[in-house]
Amino acid sequence: MNTTFKTDIIGYGLFAALILFVVPWAFAFDGFELNTFARYLTLGMVAMALALSWGYAGVLNLGQAATFGLGSYVMAMHLKLRASASSYNGMPDFMGWTNVEVLPWFWEPFHSLTFTLVAGLALPALVAWLMAVFMFRGRVTGVFVAIITLAFLVALQLVFISEQRYTGGQNGLTGLAPLELFGWRADAYSTSFYYMVAGCLITALALGLAVVRSKVGLILRAIREDANRVRFFGYDVARYETLAFCVSAALAGWAGMLYVLVLEFASPTYMSVPFSLGIVIWCAVGGRESLVAAALGAVVVNMLEGRLSSIFVEGWFLFLGILFIVVVLVMPRGLYGLFSDAVQRLQTVSPRDRGGKVATKATPLSATPAVKEEN
Amino acid sequence: MKRRSFLKGFTIAGAAGVAGVTGFPGIWTRGNSAYAANGEIPVGVLFSLTGAVAVVESTLRDACMLAIEEINASGGVNGMTLRPYQEDPASDPATFADRARRLVIRDKCVSIFGSYTSASRQAVLPVVEGRDNLYWYPTLYEGRECSRNVMYGGAVPNQQQQEFVPWLKEKFGGRFYLIGNNYVYPREENNVCKIILSQIGGEAVNEEYVPLGHSDFSSVINRIRAAEPDVIFCTLVGDSDVAFARQLHAAGFDPEKMPVASLTRSEVEVKAIGGDAAAGHFSSAPYFMGHKSAENEKFIEAYQRKYGTDQVTHFVSEAAYFQVYQFKAAVEKLAASDISPVNIRNAAVGLSMVAPQGEILIDGNLHTHLWPKIGQWQSDGQAKVIMESKQRIAPEPYWAYEGQACTENGLVRS
Amino acid sequence: MDSVLNQVFAGLSMASILLIVALGLAIIYGAMGVINLAHGEFVMLGAYSAWFLQEQFGLGILVALPVIFLMVAVVGWLVERGVVRWLYHRPLDTILATWGIGIVLQQLVRLGIGPESRYVARPEILDGNVILGGLVMANYRIFLIAFSAAVLVGTWYLLTRTEFGTKLRAIIQNKEISECYGIRPERVYALTFAYGAGLAGIAGALITPLVSVTPGMGTYVVVDAFLVVIVGGVGSLIGTAVASGLVGTASAAFSFLLNDTLGRVALLLAIILLIRFRPMGLFPDKVRR
Repeated sequence: MNTTFKTDIIGYGLFAALILFVVPWAFAFDGFELNTFARYLTLGMVAMALALSWGYAGVLNLGQAATFGLGSYVMAMHLKLRASASSYNGMPDFMGWTNVEVLPWFWEPFHSLTFTLVAGLALPALVAWLMAVFMFRGRVTGVFVAIITLAFLVALQLVFISEQRYTGGQNGLTGLAPLELFGWRADAYSTSFYYMVAGCLITALALGLAVVRSKVGLILRAIREDANRVRFFGYDVARYETLAFCVSAALAGWAGMLYVLVLEFASPTYMSVPFSLGIVIWCAVGGRESLVAAALGAVVVNMLEGRLSSIFVEGWFLFLGILFIVVVLVMPRGLYGLFSDAVQRLQTVSPRDRGGKVATKATPLSATPAVKEEN
Repeated sequence: MKRRSFLKGFTIAGAAGVAGVTGFPGIWTRGNSAYAANGEIPVGVLFSLTGAVAVVESTLRDACMLAIEEINASGGVNGMTLRPYQEDPASDPATFADRARRLVIRDKCVSIFGSYTSASRQAVLPVVEGRDNLYWYPTLYEGRECSRNVMYGGAVPNQQQQEFVPWLKEKFGGRFYLIGNNYVYPREENNVCKIILSQIGGEAVNEEYVPLGHSDFSSVINRIRAAEPDVIFCTLVGDSDVAFARQLHAAGFDPEKMPVASLTRSEVEVKAIGGDAAAGHFSSAPYFMGHKSAENEKFIEAYQRKYGTDQVTHFVSEAAYFQVYQFKAAVEKLAASDISPVNIRNAAVGLSMVAPQGEILIDGNLHTHLWPKIGQWQSDGQAKVIMESKQRIAPEPYWAYEGQACTENGLVRS
Repeated sequence: MDSVLNQVFAGLSMASILLIVALGLAIIYGAMGVINLAHGEFVMLGAYSAWFLQEQFGLGILVALPVIFLMVAVVGWLVERGVVRWLYHRPLDTILATWGIGIVLQQLVRLGIGPESRYVARPEILDGNVILGGLVMANYRIFLIAFSAAVLVGTWYLLTRTEFGTKLRAIIQNKEISECYGIRPERVYALTFAYGAGLAGIAGALITPLVSVTPGMGTYVVVDAFLVVIVGGVGSLIGTAVASGLVGTASAAFSFLLNDTLGRVALLLAIILLIRFRPMGLFPDKVRR
C-alpha cells in the first residue's frame, strides 16, 4: 500500500509539473494558448470526477454533465448579478425581456461571493446525494444507473431551457462580469488565471487521491468488483456509493464554475447528452482506473479535436468517431492500460523484476472483471 | 517499485505526446503584428459543418466562400486577397467561443463571418467585444441587441412584421395562433406580434412553444384544430418546422382558410417539406430566390454553378453573401496600414450597395436597412413574391421597448 | 370530449412510431445485452435509403420497404461483424463503441450525401383523413399503427415459431450448451443484429413523411426508444409493446395537460421512478441467465 501511494504521488507530481511548468513554457506564456489550455484542464477535472465514481466505484454516471452544468450556472448567476448592478432593479437584462418584475428569491443569495463558491460545490453534491439515495437505497445498479442519470440529465436540461425567465433559456447566461477574488480580477487570458485553473485541478486531484487511497477507496474498489461480497462483510454499500457519487458531483460542480470563467458564459449545452457522453469518452480514452489518466485523456482528446478541426474542417468529426471505436476495441483500459500493459510486458522479459509483476497483478487497480475475462 | 517506473514512463510519454500534438513554441504564435500582411487580409469563416445546425449553416458557409472567391478572382481588395480561415464550431456554443478566439487572437482575423443561432452569436460576443473585433452575422434575429462589434445583416422583428401582420389580418382575420420553438427568438417575435395585433385589433388565441428539434406535432395540431384560428403564426425553425408543415398537411389543413405565416421558413426548409405541403402558405423575408432582379440572377447563377443546380439560395445565405461584399467595400476605403476591425466598422457605416434583394444600407447602429417582402410558396418549392415593401425599412432592434433605441453611440435610453 | 379522443389517437400514433423504432433495439438488447447507441443512425440510414431509392429508381416508400430493410440490415451485419462482436463481454463498452459508430455513420452520410435536409414523398394512396364526429384521424397515422402492430406480430412469430427464433432463444438461455448442440452463436448474433438494424431502417423510412430527413435525425429518436426498452423489460416483446403504448399515450396526455416541454419532463421523471421501483421493467425476463 505504501509503495503504491508513493508512486501515485510521483505520477501526480509529474502531471502537476507538466501543467504548471512545461505547458506554459511550451506555449511561450501566450495568453490565447493558455486560455485554450485552461479550458482543457477544466474538462480534465470533470473527467477525473467521473473516473472517481465510474473507475473506482463502478457507478457509470451518464449524467455527469448535470452536476457540471449546475456548478457553471451557480458561478454564472453570481457574475451576471455583478454585471447587472447598474441596470433596472439590479436585475439581469433577460428577465426584463420576459416581464419578470422583481429578482426571484433564489437569485438573491448569489450576490454573495462566499455563498456562490460554497453553493457551486454544495448544490451539485446535494442533487447528487438525493439521486444517490434514491438509486442506491433501491440497489439500482449498472445499466439502470446509467439510464436514470441520463434521463435526469435530459429532464434537467429541458427545465433550464424552458424556464427562460429565470435561466436565460437556450442562450444561457451571457454578458457576465469578471470574477473578483480577494482583489484579484480573473482575466481569462492572463497567466495568473491559467495558474489558478491549474492549481484548482491539482488540488482536486489531490483530494481525489486522498479519497481513493483511504480505506473508503479500498471499499469502493471492492464494491466495484463484487458488491454483494462487500455487503456480506457488513459494509453499507449504498452509503459508500453515495459518498463517491457526491464527491464526484462536487468536483464536477467545481469544474463547471471554472468553465464559466474560462468561456465567459454559461449555456444549457453544458448539460447536453453529447457533452455528457463526451466526458465518458475522455475518461475511457485516458483510462478510468486512474484519476490523473482520466484528466489527461480529456486534455488529449480535446486538444486533438481542436487541432484536427483546424486541419480537416470537414472530416475531423469522422476521425473522432473512428478514434473512439478503436480505443474501445484495442485499448479497453485507455492510455493508462496501454502503458501499464507495456510496462508489465517489459518486466516479464527481465527475470529480476518478476516479483514486481506479481505485485502489480495483486492490486485491484490493475484489471476490471470484464478485462479479466478477456485475458 | 515497478509501478513507479511505469507511472513515470506513462507521464513522460504523456508529456511527449502532448508536446507532439501541440508542437513547440513559435509554431502557432504567428509573428505578424499588423492585421494585413503579405498582401493578404485574414478573415474568419465560422459556420457549423457538423451538428444540428449544419443543415443551414453549411449553406451560409457556401455563400460566404462564394463571395470570397469571387472577390479574389476579380482582383481582391485594393490588390490584396482575402485569406479565409475556416473553422467548424459543430453547432455548439462553447466550441463557437473557442474557435472564435482562435480566429481573432491566433489567426489575427480582421473580421469573422459566422453563425445562425442566437445562442452561438451570444457565445462569440464576449470574444469579439473583448478584443474589439468585428463579427458579421447574416441571420435574422430577435433584436434587442446593440453591440458595436457585430454587423447585423439580417432582419429584426420590426422589419419582418411591421407590414406582414396587418396584411395577414386584412386578408385572413385577426385571430392568430402563435407557435414557435422554445428559445429567445420565437418568444421575442411573438411579443412583437402581440403588440402589433393589439394595435390593429387582433388577438393571439394561443401562444405555444415546443423544444428545439421537437418532431411530433399531433398534440399541437389537435389544439390548433380546436382553437380554429385565422392564421397560424409560426416561428418554428429547422427540423421542427419541416415536421410541423408535413404533419399539418397530412392532417388535411387548408392553406386558403388557415395559412401558416412563417418568419423563418425559407427555400431550404421548403425543399425538405416538399412543394405540395408548403404550397399556399406564406413567409415574410427580405429575400426570396424567386425575387426578380439582375443581381439576384447573377447570384443564383454563380451559386448553382459552384454548388450544383439542385441547390437553393435563401434569405440568410443572401445576407451571408452580400456581407462579404459590404466588408470589401468598407476595406476598399482604407489604406493597407489602416486596416483594423474598428476602422472597417467605421468605414462600413452608411455604406450603400445593391444586393440581390435591392439596394441596402448599413445603419449607424450597424444593422441593415432592408426590403421586406411577402412570399407565397408554390408547389415547385419557390416563393412567389406577392407583396414588396414600398420603401426600404429601417432596422429598429428595440422597436418593442419604449424609451430604448440602438444608435451609432450604442444603446440609448431616454 | 373530442379533444380527449383526438389526443388518445395522437398518443397511439406516437406509440406506434416508438414501437417500431424500439423493437429493433429491444431485440438487440434482449438477445445480446448490447446497448446500441447507433440505433438512431440505423433509423437515419433507413430514411436516407428511402430517399436514395426514390431519387434513383422512383420507388415510393411502401414499395421500397423490403429493399430498405435489406440495405440497413447489411449495414447492421457489418457493424456486428466488425465491431460489436468483440464487445459481448463488456456491455458498458458497447455504449461507447456504438456511440462512435453512430458518429461515423452520421458523418459519412453528411460528407457523402450532404448536410441538407432531404425530401421524401409521402405515399399518396394514404392521403386524407378518417373523420368520426369530432375525431380526425390521418390515414397515414392509422396505417402506421396497423403496420407497427403487424411488425410486432411478425417478430413474435419469428422468435417463437421459426428455427432461427428457437436457436436464438436457446443461445440467450445458455450459450455454451447451445454450442454443444451445433448452433453457431456468432451467426445467430450477427443475423439478430442485422434484423434489429433492418427494423430500425423500416422505422426510418416510415417516419420520413412526418419529419425532416437529416444526418442528425437519429439522435432525437434514440433516447426515447431506449427508455421504452428499459421500461418494457429486457427481452420482452410484449413489454416493449406495452411500454411504447404507455410512453406514447402518457406523453400525449402530459403534453395535453401541461405543454410539450413540461410534458416531456414529467414523462422522464415518471420513467425514472418506474426504473427505480421496477428495475427489471414492466415485464421482466424470467429466463435464467
